[in-house]
Amino acid sequence: MTTPMLEIRNLHARIEDRDILKGVNLIVPAGQVHAVMGRNGSGKSTLSYVLAGKEDYEVTEGEVLLDGEDILGLDPSERAAKGLFLAFQYPVEVPGVATMTFLKAAINAQRKSRGEPEQTTPDFMRAVKDAGRDLHIDQDMLKRALNVGFSGGEKKRAEILQMALLKPKMCVLDETDSGLDIDALKVVSDGVNALRDPYRSMLVITHYQRLLNHIVPDVVHVFSDGRVVESGGKELALELEAKGYASFDEAAA
Amino acid sequence: MIVHAPVRIGPAEQALIGQLGARGATAAAERLQAIGLPTRKVESYHYTDLKMLLRAVPELAVTMPAISEPALRIEGAHRIPMVNGKADISGAMPPGMTATTAKGSSLTERDDVLVRLNSALATETLKVEIRSRATQVVHIDRRSEGGAAHVNDSVHLFVADGSKATVIETFSGTDEAHVSNHASYVAVGKGAELTHILLDLSAAAATSFATAEYHLGAEAKLRTIAIHVGPGLSRFNLFARHEGEGAHGDFTGLNLVTEGQHSDITLEVTHAVRRCSSKPLFKQIARGRSTAAFQGKIVVARDAQKTDAKLMMQGLMLSDEAQIYSKPELEIFADDVVCGHGSTTGALDEESMFYLMSRGIPQAQAESMLVRGFIEEVLDPIEDEELHLALEGVVERWLGGN
Repeated sequence: MTTPMLEIRNLHARIEDRDILKGVNLIVPAGQVHAVMGRNGSGKSTLSYVLAGKEDYEVTEGEVLLDGEDILGLDPSERAAKGLFLAFQYPVEVPGVATMTFLKAAINAQRKSRGEPEQTTPDFMRAVKDAGRDLHIDQDMLKRALNVGFSGGEKKRAEILQMALLKPKMCVLDETDSGLDIDALKVVSDGVNALRDPYRSMLVITHYQRLLNHIVPDVVHVFSDGRVVESGGKELALELEAKGYASFDEAAA
Repeated sequence: MIVHAPVRIGPAEQALIGQLGARGATAAAERLQAIGLPTRKVESYHYTDLKMLLRAVPELAVTMPAISEPALRIEGAHRIPMVNGKADISGAMPPGMTATTAKGSSLTERDDVLVRLNSALATETLKVEIRSRATQVVHIDRRSEGGAAHVNDSVHLFVADGSKATVIETFSGTDEAHVSNHASYVAVGKGAELTHILLDLSAAAATSFATAEYHLGAEAKLRTIAIHVGPGLSRFNLFARHEGEGAHGDFTGLNLVTEGQHSDITLEVTHAVRRCSSKPLFKQIARGRSTAAFQGKIVVARDAQKTDAKLMMQGLMLSDEAQIYSKPELEIFADDVVCGHGSTTGALDEESMFYLMSRGIPQAQAESMLVRGFIEEVLDPIEDEELHLALEGVVERWLGGN
């Protein structure tokens, strides 16, 4: 059996004294797109933060293997360098740091950690321009401070631009559809779909089925009360939409 | 003046009283004898108790040639060296600029111990007059040379009506326990534009005091940047006065302190006339066991209607043992004004750190990106590219000294 891209085994995590993840088991094989659906407060966003290594959360039990390697002991930058990428639900505004400076620093930090030479400025500029064009990103936007004054749609497109430039092998998209109108949703989804690749996996976290019309998953997992309660094909998302999350709560009980 | 009890006079005060007496400044000597150096009970020195912090004052400086290298080299700038209070004005000056010297200090009389000391002890003032819109940066390279000395130097800068200039004054010198007390008098003429930078690069062993007073004519535009990176003990006194209608002042500063340092920036901006604006923005970063203090006061006189003033202090704590003080104040006597102040202090934003790190940027690099970003707002408006680069280098070296 080939190594899955992401394997989550019996993951428990808490913030302060509150248990949020209560035994998550999930396997995403290489090249597949999996969706995690669940209502607000079910722990979906916590899962994305714990995967990325946010400090506020304490993992009390379990393992997370990225391409066969346990990443729970790594800090967020080391996880990113190993190919993990989290597209934030609420990208953080960072005043004083120009978007271009940030992109270059991120690309080169990752290259450095892999022992690759730095990207030359012309190559970098070209890569940004090419990726930006597909995502309808205005070059002027990239001269501004990172995410500062970006509209909701601009922030989400900037996340996907980063994903395109950093070429991660495991992408976690946290509520990428939130705050997007139909047109912006299409641009963002097209951007994500363009990055589908046999060597790249994705975990798409959402509580609406509508995103999954655009980014069609191979597998859908239903998340409730801090764990996966049901998994199935893409039709599971439609079933959720029709029946609501309540019908799955029993499975969790 | 009521003196309640005789003040205990310490060795630093004793030395100062002796120096004042030797220079014939009897009144100043008697005053110091009576009240001593300011303690924290004196409001304007509340965060910088000079009686406690200033332990010793060396002999008054003597004239000597420059020994140390300029602390900062700015490509393309016209540099005037000034060593232990004596300016070297022998070279050719840029077109539209004259430099002369005059006796005594440049400062206006004021109830402040540093002003009184400089007024009594500075023997010479460098007078620079700029009557052009030339773009060449002027660098007044003020140094305290030789063995530990008490240096009192003075500069008078006049930017004539309609002129435009960028002037940077640096303080530096030998690596000794100097006590340097600098004075700058800056007048910005009608419709003139000036960027004036005070950069203190003195050695860690040194104590540095600097008083700058600014006078703004009608429609004048002034940007000031006071930067502390060097001396162990430091105090900036910044006094600005809007005297002509429509004048605008961006008073800014970076108070960067590290292990063992204490640095205080005290600003007082007075709006004396109508329709002027000021935007003080000061940033303080403290790491190790250190203290940074900022006091900012905007005074709006009764006649200064339509004043627009907004004062902001932002502090960044890079260690648990650092202390950052901030005291913004407004004193408003006019009724038709827009005035505000704000002050925030905290550690590096955790959300921003997580965001940068989640993209593969290692912790130390993410921290320095955020610190640079924090500082950049103050340096960004500098138009001259070489000067901007030189100041970024100063900040970079400070960051690197982690």
